[in-house]
Amino acid sequence: MIKDLPELVQAGVITQETADRIRAYYTAGAGKPQNRLLLVSGILGALLIGLGIILIIAHNWDDLNRSAKTALAFLPLLIGQLLGGYTLLKKQASVVWREAAATFLFLSVGATISLVSQVYHIPGNLSSFLLTWMLLGLPLVYILASSFASLFYLAGITYYAVETGYGYQWAGRDAYLFWLLLLLALPHYLRLVRNNVAGNFTVFHHWLVPLSVLIAMGTVAGSAGELLFVAYMSLLGIYCIIGSTGSFKTLRFRNNGYLFMGIIGTLGILLTLTFRVFWEEIAREKLLSFSPEMMASLLLGSLALLLLFLKWQRYTFKAISLMEYLFLIFIPIFSIGSYSAILATVLVNLLVLGIGLLTVRAGATKNDLGLLNAGLLIIAALIISRFFDTNISFVLRGLLFVLVGIGFFLANFWMLKKRKAHEI
Amino acid sequence: MKYKSLTIAAFVVVCLAQLYAPVSMILHREEVLQHGKEYKFETAPIDPNDPFRGKYIVLRFREESFPVDSTENWDQAEDIFLHLQTDRNGFATIRSISQVPPAENTDYVKAKVSYVSHHNGRDSIFFEYPFNRFYMKESKAYEAELAYQSSQQDTTQQTFALVRVKDGEAVLKDVLINGVPVKEVVERQRERDQAAIKKAQEQ
Repeated sequence: MIKDLPELVQAGVITQETADRIRAYYTAGAGKPQNRLLLVSGILGALLIGLGIILIIAHNWDDLNRSAKTALAFLPLLIGQLLGGYTLLKKQASVVWREAAATFLFLSVGATISLVSQVYHIPGNLSSFLLTWMLLGLPLVYILASSFASLFYLAGITYYAVETGYGYQWAGRDAYLFWLLLLLALPHYLRLVRNNVAGNFTVFHHWLVPLSVLIAMGTVAGSAGELLFVAYMSLLGIYCIIGSTGSFKTLRFRNNGYLFMGIIGTLGILLTLTFRVFWEEIAREKLLSFSPEMMASLLLGSLALLLLFLKWQRYTFKAISLMEYLFLIFIPIFSIGSYSAILATVLVNLLVLGIGLLTVRAGATKNDLGLLNAGLLIIAALIISRFFDTNISFVLRGLLFVLVGIGFFLANFWMLKKRKAHEI
Repeated sequence: MKYKSLTIAAFVVVCLAQLYAPVSMILHREEVLQHGKEYKFETAPIDPNDPFRGKYIVLRFREESFPVDSTENWDQAEDIFLHLQTDRNGFATIRSISQVPPAENTDYVKAKVSYVSHHNGRDSIFFEYPFNRFYMKESKAYEAELAYQSSQQDTTQQTFALVRVKDGEAVLKDVLINGVPVKEVVERQRERDQAAIKKAQEQ
């Protein structure tokens, strides 16, 4: 069926768009509900059996001698490979077979290496084990076209980044390898996005890929860690841009990991920085020297700017929301913060207040109760943060709270009344 | 069709790589176990675990550092070569350390520098042996630790790791308390405990 698609397009029977949708439907293979159920149970079964084997191995059967244990070590791997081979030869069209076989084989590679290191008492730290395991499993993502293997790989390399990048001993040295490993997983993800941006596996990737990058970013932190605020704001800006452009725009909010993380993350960082203590720390450090953090900030900042520029060229300025260019406002504030903690604190507070007010206004004009309350929530979060600031008098804080509370009531009341008026 | 045979060829290559990784690990270690020279390192085991490889006892060694004139050229996580010799009691000791492999006729172990220290004006290099884990059956690891602890209180007892060394590579063969493998120590202790329980029940 899929093979005939180009011919049909050429003959003008169907449009290219239809052809793409048909291809997406078949490659995603999750059209029918029972097919999806089979897929889930297939992967889950393979996953449980694989993990079970690893646990059974971890028990360490010391009644067996070395050669027996070694021979046993290869059993799961060989079974996995046979299943994989069978799938390629006979069941290549079946998503269930491909995913289940890839999952089992991926896990059995880890099981075999574990058992061999156990038999020979190889200390080899967890990170080198993970690296070998992930590299030997990665080809399965492409050969068996397995999305679960891809997800497993992404989780594995993130674990690797955390293992090598955080912690006190020798931290950060090998963590850079993570970025290369991530690059190797991207072709599969891009293919998924092209085929079916809202597919189940694709949505999992929409969450895991940005999350993985977000987690691994911290491994860059060294002596100039505060500078990472800029890098994180730029990265989250990139997430906002990706999440609200092109086919990602059609995704539901909970399926759009980029937009979700972008918005929540940006607001989280800004709220953190409404506290003066953080700025005092930033002002204390000498940050303007060459460091990995500086590199990351420059790189991500320029990338975000480039994306913004491309989007601006293609669409009108109105298509771009505040969250997408917030990093541009943040960078000058951060620069000010290196000199004056007070000024930067005030500016960030005003910025968060501004975001809240604009969101409220957007909610009001669009007649969207959810958006309106989100805006009010931002303002409330800002006020609550100030609750912990001891240098504002109790009376003033109390008044602010009362005002915001009244604001909540009035805004919702007004909106509902407006709606009723429309209905009549 | 051509695409399919390519995929299958690629799959076969991947399978071979997946097999090669553990096989090469095995061959490497077997070579050292068969032809390496045996050394005994005095140790101090404890009992943590690893999510993938199960329970093990961590071996801490009597000799974990070596004095140097200056720590200037040494860095954390660097390779370090420990030149070995055997002392009067038959235990391995470190004769000297270097940053490059020594001449051929010396036995040595490749290890990692864990940190450098300047304590009381005395510089020394601390290192981590490449055989600091001994994997055990999960039910025995904790008892092995207890057995070790009781052997520590008795100064006549000695715990050591039996290691084979060849060309800088080291493979841990066994951990022994007073010459008895720690696995057997645990089993004997269990038999003694059971006999004691039986005796108590009979009375």
